[in-house]
Amino acid sequence: MTLLDSPALAGAHRTGSTPARLVTAEIMKIRTTNTWWLFLGGVLLFTSLALTRNGARHDFDLNPQLDGLSPSDKAQALAQAAQAHTHASLDAIAGDMMTSGQFLGVLFAMIIGILVVTNEYAHQTATATFMANPRRTRVIMAKFAAAACFGALFWLASTVLDVIVTPIYLHSEQVGVALSDWGVVRSVLLNLLAFVMWAIFGLGLGTLVRSQVGSVVTGMSAYLVGIAAVAIIVQLIYTVYHHAWVESAIVIAPAVASLVMTTPGRIDIDNPPPQWAGVAVMLAYTVAFGAIGILLTRRRDVS
Amino acid sequence: MWWVRRGKGGAPAGESDPGVPDVALGEARGSTPRVATDGLIAVSGLTKRYKGVVAVDDLSFVVRPGRVTGFLGPNGAGKTTTLRMILGLAVPSNGTATIGGVGYAELAEPLRRVGGLLEASAAHKGRSGRNHLRILCRSVGIPLQRADEVLELVGLTPAGRRKFKGYSLGMRQRLGIAAAMIGDPQVLILDEPANGLDPDGIRWMRDLLKALAADGRTVLVSSHLLAEMQLLADDLVIIAAGRLVASGTVESVVNSIAPTGAILVRTPDADKLSAALAGDAVVTINDAGDLYVTGVDAAAIGEAAARSGAILHQLTTQRADLEGVFLELTKTKAAIR
Repeated sequence: MTLLDSPALAGAHRTGSTPARLVTAEIMKIRTTNTWWLFLGGVLLFTSLALTRNGARHDFDLNPQLDGLSPSDKAQALAQAAQAHTHASLDAIAGDMMTSGQFLGVLFAMIIGILVVTNEYAHQTATATFMANPRRTRVIMAKFAAAACFGALFWLASTVLDVIVTPIYLHSEQVGVALSDWGVVRSVLLNLLAFVMWAIFGLGLGTLVRSQVGSVVTGMSAYLVGIAAVAIIVQLIYTVYHHAWVESAIVIAPAVASLVMTTPGRIDIDNPPPQWAGVAVMLAYTVAFGAIGILLTRRRDVS
Repeated sequence: MWWVRRGKGGAPAGESDPGVPDVALGEARGSTPRVATDGLIAVSGLTKRYKGVVAVDDLSFVVRPGRVTGFLGPNGAGKTTTLRMILGLAVPSNGTATIGGVGYAELAEPLRRVGGLLEASAAHKGRSGRNHLRILCRSVGIPLQRADEVLELVGLTPAGRRKFKGYSLGMRQRLGIAAAMIGDPQVLILDEPANGLDPDGIRWMRDLLKALAADGRTVLVSSHLLAEMQLLADDLVIIAAGRLVASGTVESVVNSIAPTGAILVRTPDADKLSAALAGDAVVTINDAGDLYVTGVDAAAIGEAAARSGAILHQLTTQRADLEGVFLELTKTKAAIR
């Protein structure tokens, strides 16, 4: 036997790329580097912080500090506490706790989406990838699937932590909410959708801005600065045109859209946008950036 | 006739028309079972225009199986762009590039047919070389053990589990070649594979590529190392400024400028000297009026000049030297455009 002989290939009957093989190869690309578990650690860290923060906030709502308040303030605080103890409110609190970690968690999902495509250009592996599979649409679809899987993994990690902490927290607050309530379950599932959508959004962004630093900075700005920018613009318009829908339009900021989608009550304005608007806006961003990803990958020369 | 026509789209005289597969070559290799057209690379009228720059300009040539073909050109000549178009990574503005008569993107299992190496440092820095290869295997359904086989083939087994960022340039080249060999392809297309290899590595590469060609495979390899190319290649394709300047066997290309064993004579009395030379001498005069004499040695020419009273300005025995030929062929072409 010479070195050129290959028992492995001789024994291989059904070679060739299939969608499933492409997806597992893309997942393997992420799995064989350090990034994903560092990100996973980040997700768990931020979920812990968010649980602490949300727990403290709701604790204040449920058990207001009455010492030293004037009688009128005391009455108002008690009324708010009574309001917080209604079934709908408790459901919202449970939903909020069970989706803790979303705000920064989806940021990690977005960045992993960005890295799935920008890594190929930063490390010049795009040539090997597209030489192995010249049908580029299939490759980019596999990348979407792999990015979505890691988005889902981050959601799972965050949710597992939430599932452990939330019942303990609610028990200590002495409120009875069934976590199996549809309102709570829906929030948790929509949270999964948010993680997946942000991963896909990130991937599309990565094809658009192929520089790794450039797309991460753009994505984080769109997410974090975007809220403030849109809020300021919307408030300015709202002072001139005092219509409810103008204030609700803050939902066009992607970070707001994903919050509204999962837990609509979390946006603290007079006219919070409806949940369907959050879903629609997130869907629009995901589809638009997904389409950009596919079109650019198909048309561009690989270099 | 040993002139190579130079300039626009020139194919060397006596060569078959690019794009017409020369099936007979397959039989010339004797018992090799592979079909010649299987691994034939045919480039026809290939053109790539970027904004304001024509990187590759109406380029046509063929690369035959069973031979190592050197792809040469100055920096910026369009070599890598051409290879990218052959490998389906860049879309030609015009013309076609096919492998076995099919465009790269239409190949059913490209890695089983064609192995390519374009950038040596093309792997994730934080991933091991072995995992880099296993991912390639996974994406095209080749058993993962193949990664270990090609690591062995390129002598990289001990470093297989180390991260890519710790690899020397030579190790990176070897990993690139391992990746190209993943599918045991009929055709190998390698861009500057000898870059960064030590002398030992260069010899290893030469032996490997020669063995692959002897096995009936097509090997197209670009390089700047002309002396190495002269040792390695059977055929040459030389481009400059995006255009073909010469192609053919190494011998025919080298002889096109400096015929082996010929003697360059510069004399104002060409006719007188020609008449005085003995019957064995064959005299050819090029456009510049230089005489190339074969069939007799320098001493005989000197004696003939003395007998006839012809004045000699130069009498030089030509040595075949690819470097000289290359510089001569590409000297009028602007390298960086």
